[in-house]
Amino acid sequence: MHGEYKMPGGKLVVIDLELRDGRLAGVQLSGDFFLEPDSALEAINRALEGQSEHADEAALAASVRHALAADVMMYGISPEAIAAAVRRALHKEPAA
Amino acid sequence: MMRTDWRDHDWQLIHTAPQSPTLHMALDDVLTHEVGAGRRAPTLRIWEWASPAVVIGRFQSLRNEVDGAAAQRHGIEVVRRVSGGGAMFIEPGNTITYSIYAPQSLVKGLSFQEAYAFFDAWVLQALAELGIKAWYQPLNDITSEGGKIAGAAQVHRGGAVLHHVTMAYDIDASKMLDVLRIGREKLSDKGTVSAAKRVDPLRSQTGLPREAVIERMVATFRRLHGLSDDRLRADELAQAEALAQAKFGSPAWLGDVA
Repeated sequence: MHGEYKMPGGKLVVIDLELRDGRLAGVQLSGDFFLEPDSALEAINRALEGQSEHADEAALAASVRHALAADVMMYGISPEAIAAAVRRALHKEPAA
Repeated sequence: MMRTDWRDHDWQLIHTAPQSPTLHMALDDVLTHEVGAGRRAPTLRIWEWASPAVVIGRFQSLRNEVDGAAAQRHGIEVVRRVSGGGAMFIEPGNTITYSIYAPQSLVKGLSFQEAYAFFDAWVLQALAELGIKAWYQPLNDITSEGGKIAGAAQVHRGGAVLHHVTMAYDIDASKMLDVLRIGREKLSDKGTVSAAKRVDPLRSQTGLPREAVIERMVATFRRLHGLSDDRLRADELAQAEALAQAKFGSPAWLGDVA
């Protein structure tokens, strides 16, 4: 499943994932955003792994935010934008 | 750490013979480290490309962005760079690419948006001297009335920041659309607009040879910020060659975001 969300004033945030027993699996965040250190990408993928398919955007964004170390820098992307891309992947909504 | 100004630093210029795409990726990594460690003075590097390439951003999905079969058919190497941002389609002679390796003190206290514009103010000045009215389009583009001219990306390492930019000098739009998937999708969203309309290259805007544009850019940087001619040290090149082979040329790095 594939979801894309263009963050307003930001960059394209893309999520690819599968569903296993109602939970997110094989989550991959990608896009043309800026994220430092680059290891934060894996931390975000792990934070989303195993989340319920029914988790709402606020819950998904909170999980992402919680997984990020204090020194992580985001430009053109945010926990909320990532959550929106996840919801789009789950709802098979067309890209922004 | 105090905020510094361009003129507080002894800027060096590196502009060498054409190099391979993977070596360019590695040189950015190595030279950022060298400036961060204080072993190299802040540096402007102008790239010359030995062969065509698609350079994808650090976090872009290889399969979502690139048509691998089309790239192979056109003899285009696909590489992943250390910085975020979008895919660039490179053919030797068609782009002007440069990197700035700077101490972080130069942009201390600036927002990301301010830091991007700060690093390219000299380029806007150079373009103005060539008769092109260009401006910064947040987050990371240089644009003009005719369309986008360039895209920038930054990475912070240790005490240094890498700011690198690719400017379109000329463009083979049909080949680009053949190789970049995202280009096709973005265009299909917007109807039938051609890629050439999204990007307005410097050749049509200046009527000048690529070398003359680069000469003007270097002269403007030199006048505004000071610039001495330098070359890569043998140990820097050796480090970059090793890294190009071990990391940037490896399937693991290229496919890191599958």
